[in-house]
Amino acid sequence: MATMQRVVAAAQSSVSTSGGGGGGGGATNYASSKGVAASCASGTAATELVVISDQFPVGLRVLVVDDDVTCLRILEQMLRRCRYQVTTCSQATVALNLLRERKGCFDVVLSDVHMPDMDGFKLLELVGLEMDLPVIMMSADGRTSAVMRGIRHGACDYLIKPIREEELKNIWQHVVRKKWNENKEVEHSGSMEENDRHKRGNDDSEYASSANEGTDGILKAQKKRSNVKDEDDGELENDDPSTSKKPRVVWSVELHQQFVSAVNQLGLDKAVPKRILELMNVPGLTRENVASHLQKFRLYLKRLSGVAQQQGGVSNTMCGPVDPNVKLGRFDIQALAASGQIPPQTLAALHAELLGRPTANLIPGMDQPTLLQASVQGPKRIPIEHGVAFGQPLVKCQSNVSKHFPQSMISSVEDVSAGFGVWPSNNVNTVVPSSNLSGLSTQNSNMLMDILQQQQRQQQQSQQQSLPPEPSRTINVQPSCLVVPSQSASFQAGNSPASVSQNCSFNRNSVIDYSLLSSQSNNSLVNIGHFSNGDLKTTGALSGYSGPGSISPSVSSCSGNADSSMGRQVQSSTITFGNARQPGFVHNMHDIQGSYGSKTGEVLDQGPLQNLGFVGKGTCIPSHFAVDEFESPMSNMNHGKLFMENNGIRVKQEPSVGFMDNTKVGLPVLQQFSSNDIMSVFTE
Amino acid sequence: MLGLGVDRLRADMNRLLALLFHQGVLDEQFLQLQQLQDESSPNFVSEVVNIYFHESEKLLRNLRGLLMDKEFSDYKKIGIHLNQFMGSSSSIGAKRVRNVCVAFRAASEQNNRAGCLRALELLEHEYCYLKNKLHELFHIEQQRVLAAGVRYPMQH
Repeated sequence: MATMQRVVAAAQSSVSTSGGGGGGGGATNYASSKGVAASCASGTAATELVVISDQFPVGLRVLVVDDDVTCLRILEQMLRRCRYQVTTCSQATVALNLLRERKGCFDVVLSDVHMPDMDGFKLLELVGLEMDLPVIMMSADGRTSAVMRGIRHGACDYLIKPIREEELKNIWQHVVRKKWNENKEVEHSGSMEENDRHKRGNDDSEYASSANEGTDGILKAQKKRSNVKDEDDGELENDDPSTSKKPRVVWSVELHQQFVSAVNQLGLDKAVPKRILELMNVPGLTRENVASHLQKFRLYLKRLSGVAQQQGGVSNTMCGPVDPNVKLGRFDIQALAASGQIPPQTLAALHAELLGRPTANLIPGMDQPTLLQASVQGPKRIPIEHGVAFGQPLVKCQSNVSKHFPQSMISSVEDVSAGFGVWPSNNVNTVVPSSNLSGLSTQNSNMLMDILQQQQRQQQQSQQQSLPPEPSRTINVQPSCLVVPSQSASFQAGNSPASVSQNCSFNRNSVIDYSLLSSQSNNSLVNIGHFSNGDLKTTGALSGYSGPGSISPSVSSCSGNADSSMGRQVQSSTITFGNARQPGFVHNMHDIQGSYGSKTGEVLDQGPLQNLGFVGKGTCIPSHFAVDEFESPMSNMNHGKLFMENNGIRVKQEPSVGFMDNTKVGLPVLQQFSSNDIMSVFTE
Repeated sequence: MLGLGVDRLRADMNRLLALLFHQGVLDEQFLQLQQLQDESSPNFVSEVVNIYFHESEKLLRNLRGLLMDKEFSDYKKIGIHLNQFMGSSSSIGAKRVRNVCVAFRAASEQNNRAGCLRALELLEHEYCYLKNKLHELFHIEQQRVLAAGVRYPMQH
C-alpha cells in the first residue's frame, strides 16, 4: 500500500512539473503505477488507474515528431490545449536520440510517416523494440495500404491528417491500454482480452487459438484437435486447404521458409508484400496473402519483444501448476505440455500460430508418444517425492543430475558456440545474458531454427521416414534437440528411457546440423519433457524443506520449464552447481534460495531462478560473457530477495513486480541488446 | 464611428471567410485553427499560416525543380513532397490546395509527366490564390484589432 501512495504522490508531482522538462519525478510516474497495478489483482488494476486518474491524462508526456513544421506547430498547440506535456521534434533521428537519452520521460510518441532523415516506420520499430512505448503514426496518406503498413509495423494508432483536437484528446488511452495489457499479461499471462485484440487487429483468430491459453484455451485446443483429427490423419501434404474453414493459403513449412528467406533478403523493414511475393515466386500466391502473413510475422516479432519483458512474471505462474486457476503464459505452455498439463496440441498451436495453420495439423502421430510419456512420467514422480521422505528423492534427483548432466552441459556449451558460428554473435549474446530476454530469445531462436531447419528439411525427411512428410516445426525440433549430443541417451536414461530410444534413432543420422539448430530453445522442450518435469512439481516442497545444497537441481529444473531457452542452459548450469565447480556462486545462490524457501513455502519464484540461470550460464559458458553478465544477475537476485521479504504473502505476484525492478537494474544489458538483435536476425 | 468600423471590418472578414468556404478554398479545419488561438498564443493562426507559406514555397520550388530538371524526374521524391504538402495544407484547412495535391500525386504515381506539370501549375495557382486571400483576411483582422485597440482605451 505504501507503493500506492507513492504513485499518487508521483502523479501529483508530474502535474506540477507538467510545464517543465519532464524531470525524474514525472518520469517514473506511470511506471510505478504499473507496478502497483501488477501487485494488485487484475480486477482492481483498472480501478487503480482510475484512482490515480482524477487528473490523469493531464501531463501526459507526448513526443511529437514531424518534419512538417506547420503540422508540428499545430499539433503542439492542440496537445497543449489538452494539457499534455508536449515535446516537439522535426527530425526522426533527433527524436530517437531524445528517446534514448531520456528513457522513461515520455508516455507516448506521435510520429509522422514520411520523414527525410528516417522513415517513420523505422522509428516506430525502433521505439517499439527499445522502449516499448505506444507510437501513433500520422500521415496525410490515408490509403488503406499506408494505414496497413502502420498496423503491420506495430503502430497503436494511425491518424490521418488533418488531425483534429478530439483525436488527440483521446491518445492517453493508448498509454493506459498498453500498461493495462502488460499487467494483464503478467497476471493472466497470455489470456488476451478485447483491448489487446483490438490492438492486434486482423490477427485475431490465430491469436486467440494460440495465445489464449488460459484453462479454456486448453479446452479449446483439445476440442479443436478432436474435430480435426480425422482429416489430419489423412492429410499428409498439408497443402490441402480443406482443413481450414475458408479457402486460404496454407503456409506450409516450405512456403513459410521461402517467405522468411525473402524477408531476410529484403531486410525486415524494407520487406513489402509485393517484393516478397516477387522473391518467393510462388504461383497462386497473392499479394494479400503475403501481406497478411507478413503482418502476422511482424506481430509475432513484436509480441516477442513485448513478451520478453514480461517473462519474469509469466514464468512465475509456471511454478504453480499447483494452482489450477493460474492462467498459463505462452512459455509455460511448453513446459506444461512437457509435464503433462497441456496436450501437445496446445503446444503445437503455439508454433502453428505463425504458420497460421490449424493446430492439429502440426502434430504428427509420432511425436505424441514422446510428450505423453513425459506427461505420464511427471505425475508419477511427484507422488513419490511427496509421499516418501524428503531427503531421499532429493538425493536421487541430484545423483541423476550430477551423473548425466555434466555431459549434457558440455554439449550445450558446444551448441552455443556452434550457434555463434552460425548466427551473428550479437544474437547469441542477447539470448544468453538477460533473463528478461529469455522469452524473446526462445522464440527468436525458434524462428532461426525454423529457417535453418526448413532448409535442412529435406535431409531430415529422408531420415525421418517414420514421420509423416509434413512434420510440424515442433516435432522437427524435438528430435533435433535430442540429437544434440551423443550424451542424450545418457541423460535421458535417468528419466525416460522409452522416449530416449525413440529419439535416439534419429539422432544417429541427423548429426551435427541439428545440434547447431537445437542449440537454444528447442532443447528445452525436450529437456523439460524428459527430465525436469518431475522435479518441477516438487520444487515448491523441496525448497521449503531441503538444505541449500540439494536445492539446486530442483531449482534448475523449475526455471528450465519456465523459460524454455534459458531453461535449457539453466539446467546445464545446475550441473555446475551439482558438481560444485563454482563454489562461490553456488553459495550465493543457495543463500537466496534458502530465504525464498522459508518465506514462500510453496511457490517458487522466477526471479531467483532466472538469475540462477544467469549465473550458471556465466559459469558454464566459457569466456564470452562470463565477466560482464555477472553483475546484473547478482543485483537482480538481491532485488528479488528484497521483494520477497517486503511482502511475503503475495508470493505469486512478486516475481512480476520484482521483475520490473529487475529490468531496471539489469537494464544496461537488456537495452543494449534487445533492439538491434532481433532486427539483425532477420535482416541478416 | 470607430466602433462601427470594427463591426464593418468584422463583417468584411466574415464575408471573405464565407466566400472562401463557399469556393472550397478553405474548410472547417481552418476554423479549428482559429479556435486554437487563445491568450497563450494570440497570433496563432497567422503564425501557423506563415510557417505554412514558408514551407509551401520551399516545397513548390522543390517540386518545380524536380519536374523541370531533366527528362527523368524522381517521382518518388515528388510523391513524398506532395505528401507533406497535403499534410500541411489539410492541417490548415486549405482544401483546394490539398485536392490539387491529391491529383498531382496520382499523376506522379503514374509517372505522368504531362499530368504532373499541369498539376504543378494548378497547384501554384491555387496556392497563390490562397495566399492572397489569407493575406487579405489577416489584413482585415489586423485592422480590426487596431480599431478595437483604439476604441478600447477611449471607453475607459
